[in-house]
Amino acid sequence: MNDERELAINPIVQTSVQHNTQVVSNIRNLTASLFGVAAGTLGLESYPGFIFYLIGTLIVSSLVFVFRAEGKPKEYFHQPLGDLWGGDVFSGLSSFVLTWTLFYGLVRA
Amino acid sequence: MPFAGTALNTVGLAFLTHAVYSTHEHTSLHPSTSTQKTPLPLDITLELLVSILILSTGIVLSSPSLKPIQWARWAGKIEREGRQSEGKWTREGEEVLSEGDPYAFLGLKGGKGSGEGRRGFWDVRGKRKEYADWVRAGGKN
Repeated sequence: MNDERELAINPIVQTSVQHNTQVVSNIRNLTASLFGVAAGTLGLESYPGFIFYLIGTLIVSSLVFVFRAEGKPKEYFHQPLGDLWGGDVFSGLSSFVLTWTLFYGLVRA
Repeated sequence: MPFAGTALNTVGLAFLTHAVYSTHEHTSLHPSTSTQKTPLPLDITLELLVSILILSTGIVLSSPSLKPIQWARWAGKIEREGRQSEGKWTREGEEVLSEGDPYAFLGLKGGKGSGEGRRGFWDVRGKRKEYADWVRAGGKN
């Protein structure tokens, strides 16, 4: 109820929300496969690889926070915690695993 | 900062390619067996990590900038900057412009000072008074 009233007073532009979500998901997909290349080349196995991915996404989130959101995520994301810091983390995981195994096989095996 | 992003991407890609190639050479020269594993030299590891950092910075910098989601801030930004080129062109050669004021067709802006455009408010009582004065004056002119 309170949230609804807040939205009535400060309306939100849907096209901007879509645009921002798409930008973040693009960045995530590109960097996820990049981290896969690094993890495979470093020869990480099992849990260290996933921890590497999580640390990488955290770094990318802070880069977006600094360079794209200019330190004010409230202005660009409806829920900064979910959309910026946690947005698309698990959808990037599949492309991470793909390039991880590929480069592990190419370079290490 | 499209130029900085492209430059960082190029540099990062070069370093990444070199690091992966070095790793490949290293593992083919010193193959790790089941009894002993040969660790990657520190310089290759560092090069790899630095190149990844450079590349992700470049990707973030070369991505399009975010748009404010609150209506007031978004509209204010459009008002201040107007319609600008997005740096893209259609196949017919027309420039792709950023989104403009969605209420521009109402023509409220044209009325500022110039007297053109739609009036937001019509002074009925003033007009009625004007008419009454005109009638009182004898209906001439």
